[in-house]
Amino acid sequence: MRTGPHLPAGHVPSGSGPHGDGGAPAPDVTVVVIAYNDARRLPRAVGSALRQSLDGVEVVVVDDGSRDGTGPLAERLADELPGRVRAVRLPVNSGGCGRPRNAGVERARGRYVMFLDSDDVLDRHACLNLLTAAEDTGADLVSGLCARVRVDRGRARESFWYPWLYQRTAVYGSLRDNPDLLYDTLATNKLYRRGFLERSGLRFVEHLHYEDLLFTAEAYLAAARTALIPHRVYNWLVEPSARSISNRRSDLANFADRLEIHRRIDALLSRHGDERLRLVKDAKFVKHDLLLYVRELRHRDAAYRQGFCALAAEYLAGLDPRVFDAAPPMAAIVAYLLREGDHEAALAAAEYRGKRPVLSTELTRCDGRVYWGRRCPSSAEGRRILDVTHLGLHRCRLSELRPLNTVTELVVKNGRVRLSGRVLNPLGRVAPDADVSACLEVYDRRRPRRVFRLPAALTHAGNGLVWEAEFDPQRQIRPLGIVDPVWDVRLVLRVDGEGIVTRPSGLGLGDADPWEHVLLPVRPRFSRLTARSLRPCLTYRGSLAFVLHADGPAWRMAAAMARTRWGRRLRRGIRRMWAAVRRLFRAARRAATSRSTKTAVFNRVLSRLPVRTGTVVFESHLGRRYSGNPKYIHRELRRAEVPVRAVWSYDSSPQGFPEDAVLVRRGSWAYYWELARAQFWIDDQGFPDGLRKRPQTVYLQTWHGSAYKLMGEDQPRVKWAGRSERARLRRMVDRYDYFLVRSRHDVDTLVKGLGVRAELLPVGYPRNDPLVNGDPDAAAEAEALRRSLGLEDGRRVVLYAPTFRPGPDGRPVWYMDPPVEPGRFVRDLGDAMVLLLRPHYLCRMRLPAVAGDGVRDVGHVPDVTPLLLLADALITDHSSIMFDYALLDRPLILHVPDAAALGGGYFDLAEHAPGPVTRTEDELLAALADLDRVDADYAGRRRDFVRRFGEYDRGTAARAVVERFFTTVREGVRDG
Amino acid sequence: MAESRDVFIVCNNADGVGGLQRWAHHLARLLARRGHRVTLVGVTRASEPHDYEPDGSYAVVTLHEQWRPPALPWRPRSLRQRFDIAAYWRDLWRTRTLRQGAERLSELFAGARPGGVVIAAQVWAMEWVRAADTTGLKVIGMTHESYEATRRSSRYARVKELYADCDRMLALTAEDADAWARDGMTNAGHMPNPLHVAPRRLSTLDAPIVASVGRLATEKGVDLLLEAWARVASRQPGWLLRVYGAGPQEDELRRQAASLPEIATSVEFRGVVADVETALADSSIFVLPSRAEGFPMSVLEAMAYGLPTVAFDCAPGVRALVADGRDGLLVPPGDTAALAAALERLIEDDALRRAMGARARASVARYRPDVVLDRWERLFACLHRGESAVSEPMADETISDRRFGRPWPSSRRSTTAIPAAGAVEDDS
Repeated sequence: MRTGPHLPAGHVPSGSGPHGDGGAPAPDVTVVVIAYNDARRLPRAVGSALRQSLDGVEVVVVDDGSRDGTGPLAERLADELPGRVRAVRLPVNSGGCGRPRNAGVERARGRYVMFLDSDDVLDRHACLNLLTAAEDTGADLVSGLCARVRVDRGRARESFWYPWLYQRTAVYGSLRDNPDLLYDTLATNKLYRRGFLERSGLRFVEHLHYEDLLFTAEAYLAAARTALIPHRVYNWLVEPSARSISNRRSDLANFADRLEIHRRIDALLSRHGDERLRLVKDAKFVKHDLLLYVRELRHRDAAYRQGFCALAAEYLAGLDPRVFDAAPPMAAIVAYLLREGDHEAALAAAEYRGKRPVLSTELTRCDGRVYWGRRCPSSAEGRRILDVTHLGLHRCRLSELRPLNTVTELVVKNGRVRLSGRVLNPLGRVAPDADVSACLEVYDRRRPRRVFRLPAALTHAGNGLVWEAEFDPQRQIRPLGIVDPVWDVRLVLRVDGEGIVTRPSGLGLGDADPWEHVLLPVRPRFSRLTARSLRPCLTYRGSLAFVLHADGPAWRMAAAMARTRWGRRLRRGIRRMWAAVRRLFRAARRAATSRSTKTAVFNRVLSRLPVRTGTVVFESHLGRRYSGNPKYIHRELRRAEVPVRAVWSYDSSPQGFPEDAVLVRRGSWAYYWELARAQFWIDDQGFPDGLRKRPQTVYLQTWHGSAYKLMGEDQPRVKWAGRSERARLRRMVDRYDYFLVRSRHDVDTLVKGLGVRAELLPVGYPRNDPLVNGDPDAAAEAEALRRSLGLEDGRRVVLYAPTFRPGPDGRPVWYMDPPVEPGRFVRDLGDAMVLLLRPHYLCRMRLPAVAGDGVRDVGHVPDVTPLLLLADALITDHSSIMFDYALLDRPLILHVPDAAALGGGYFDLAEHAPGPVTRTEDELLAALADLDRVDADYAGRRRDFVRRFGEYDRGTAARAVVERFFTTVREGVRDG
Repeated sequence: MAESRDVFIVCNNADGVGGLQRWAHHLARLLARRGHRVTLVGVTRASEPHDYEPDGSYAVVTLHEQWRPPALPWRPRSLRQRFDIAAYWRDLWRTRTLRQGAERLSELFAGARPGGVVIAAQVWAMEWVRAADTTGLKVIGMTHESYEATRRSSRYARVKELYADCDRMLALTAEDADAWARDGMTNAGHMPNPLHVAPRRLSTLDAPIVASVGRLATEKGVDLLLEAWARVASRQPGWLLRVYGAGPQEDELRRQAASLPEIATSVEFRGVVADVETALADSSIFVLPSRAEGFPMSVLEAMAYGLPTVAFDCAPGVRALVADGRDGLLVPPGDTAALAAALERLIEDDALRRAMGARARASVARYRPDVVLDRWERLFACLHRGESAVSEPMADETISDRRFGRPWPSSRRSTTAIPAAGAVEDDS
């Protein structure tokens, strides 16, 4: 019974009963399944519709004139399941999806209708979810998430169709409420009220491909209410081998059809008289439809390219030019250049994507801006669209550049190979007088560390670089044979010590295989029995690679053996075993170097080793910088010639850290080793959680600023988190032995909020000593910094140093913006002032390239104290830097554009502010223009501010700390 | 009138003290009143039973008088755990006992008429439902907490596994259902809890009393409330905070209240009260300081009595009930200063309090029992289309036929479990 076509008689409801065709009540949902020559997959699709958790779904199978038995199969299904399945056969194939779907809708009896293609599958709960949403919201049209499932070689890879539309259940009154709906142009992941289809006369257009696009646009416009649900409802199964109609883009008529559909949608939207909708649709065309085709152009022949570009240019010329602003920048460039007829640059823009995009066109620099393409755009529109200055290609490091590298010649002569090519030199980034060298590297794809390096000659030629390598492959490339079949090639350029890595590309050489008869003779280490030559070929992305030409007798035998059943099994077994071994090794390595292992070893083993007297571990801002209070304590130690062994922890790079100290990377074994044996821990934020400090070690927590923002347990986040988070904070804070404070305000706020129970040292902050006592070393450091920044032209220096802005998840927002538009600052105040931008150490400043030298990013300066010393005025928000800068008694402006972002603090900022509080750009510029008045007006309040928040800062903090803890070290007596 | 169905509500226990059991008995009574044949099944008995005074309109059955094997199935993680023979035997014992309980459940299910429905109210109880034979019945799984709360607990993996192929999975709010749907549970829908009080007397909103009702445990956040109250009390003398409920944190909270001089006299710990009506009708403001919630029934009650609510915006359930600024005030989680400010706003503004109270009372009409029951019956009708639903034999024979291919891409469920009815399995 299992495989037979018939059900047990007892299970089949009789056709004439109440459940027969005529008398059954109307089903809730009818699923229209269309099929063409797909008898193989049709039952799967029908099954998915019948198996719905919504009971009683009706299926109408429409066979679009198939010739492979799909029709009889559909009829058999209908016979077996009367009342559930009905079959419709169209006499002639229509060539599209439109007519069969229309035929299905005509025959549907359900209150709602869905469409399903024979090669796809519905989710089991699709009908119930869509129906529930339709009934809850009264919508005419309900849409759910569609998953694209690639099924090749048994593994399914999923991606979702515009998932950002489907984040939550939503109801829209009309398309105007959410024009982005136009992005989802599938007709299949939707449930339509049948009455709605009938009332508005909605049908699919026939004889054109992409009928979905027009149908959905019409449906969105006609629906009185549209609902979206986040449930996945439709599985669009993509089998790479089988090509469905919508996937045949190689035919030019296909693109023409798509344009025709878009023209009709344009007409439809124009009839509705909504410009905004039209713009959203056009932007979607530029960003989605057009790019889909352009990215494949490299693989098409010349005739197709010509035809395509003509069609596209014609359509694009008819679009509203505002579409170029509505679409994403690179897509807009593609569309604009296609319209203007610059196909090469358009193609380059379409290919410029991914994590490390390849730049395959020239760039132009005019009037300080950088433009895409080899010509400076003449029109204002062109300059606006083609402006790519924001990509920063004119000033990024050379190693971040990936210019196109085209192979121009590959010949084999007398056993020697000559391989040459040309690398773009965008904007002349590689100067003619630069010290350049090149090296061609051929490496094993499976084991990239196996590299053969071949020297190459490099010369400047026009606006590019020409390279040429000549080598003897038999001597210089030695593959093993069999186990390393593919060898990739890259060219490494060294320019003044910086490396540019490019992959030689074979695209653009023509359409046929450019190296059809080229073979490189090689001598594999497993002897020439395995292979005798390397064959050049193009990878999927068009890069040059060599493949071992499988022509050796041993290879052939091995290949033949591997093709047998036992060979396959053996191969699979070996591969699995190897994978298991590698997994095991990786897991072991992870376990051995994980933080929890290190913490456990620290607590159980390392902290039992004897303390090394005189060792001090310093850390500032979790190892990110050599700065802050620890730096100034270390300096004082050096100056007082206390014989300590200083250890500094760094986070990613040891650059900028003192050379006379032992440097350990934060989190490394050396770091834990030093922490365990240190006599002193000195930091300003916190050593890793979980480390148990032993009583013999003295932990001096210097902290990194007085508090305006709520700290520790006063923060809502910590209060909220419950016991574990508070316990973690408790553990961290209870390790402190001493805690530096700079005022009674600290004691009332910071100390209380963190729950510090350590001894408080009311000596002020060491980092603020130079601000008060005019320390010559620090002054010299500030002067050196002034010189290196080129700030000696007498203009006043204004420093902008805000704190971070918490994002929705509570973590800092990565990018910060200047407080005023840089161009405006330079125009208004550029003659008298320089604006230095100092982002919070967890953030980066977003500074446009146009700013010039009037506005500069000083995020790279490790220590902020010299910056404070050389700044004539400070702009900040509620950052703790105001407490430090106020000590200098120089003008200070609090710029708080978003008062709500302040939240609750420990005191009323406006009441105690040491300077004017500005809200807008205009107010800020006005305050800056009149800096002297600000200085005079607020002198009194500034002093009050210092008295209140910096009462212990007398310029002696570092000395006090050293005298308190380290004079005993000098005498050689163990402290603690 | 919808047709009469056999409905089984399966809980971990049917006689423990808790919101879930109260809900289960209430729903059973309501369904029975509509003519359904309801059986309330507790997998085991509670250690401290509470009498819910079943009125005999529905049956109450317990599967295991006592559950002694380990609560959860054995999931060895490391190699060493895999060789733990004792744990292996304990798990074997658990499986055997569970099977006995499931057989008992199967017998109950076998007596059901066509069109019956099983509602597994909790994840643990779902294990028994899955092990039982549910042929001809539809299975509905429920989660009575917010998605985020489940996500943080060990229940998450079990929900994903055990609920993947039931016919419907019900969260408490639409927002939670959306979250489950995004997480790949395509059977997710939502069903609110019905209002279970019928006020005879409404609050006059005159008494200077703020009420909080809930277990005194960390997740209910009464410590945060006391902290906020310290700010309020000093500025609003004459107002009282009444904390109803008992729990593990009680002593600690009493100590906290006593240590803050400004609130020592203005906080009353009232313990557990039987008469919720007096407690709520005598107050003017309801406050919910919870750190985590599902669908807080206490807020539903308070709204029914016409109280405006002040709460931390901690869960979709709270947002679904209280529309900020309409029938109550929501403040950012953990922000005690904002909680205090919101309380003060309602204390000082009589008109606002009255307006919000009135709107709250009107708004809970969405959760009137008949409205919620209609929703339940609509769901039942979708899953079982009356007599025409002859799809069961199909499910067994035709669909599992190879011609229909694999159900795509339904969860890869373990093969050990006995398939629940309706959850159509293929034969691979």
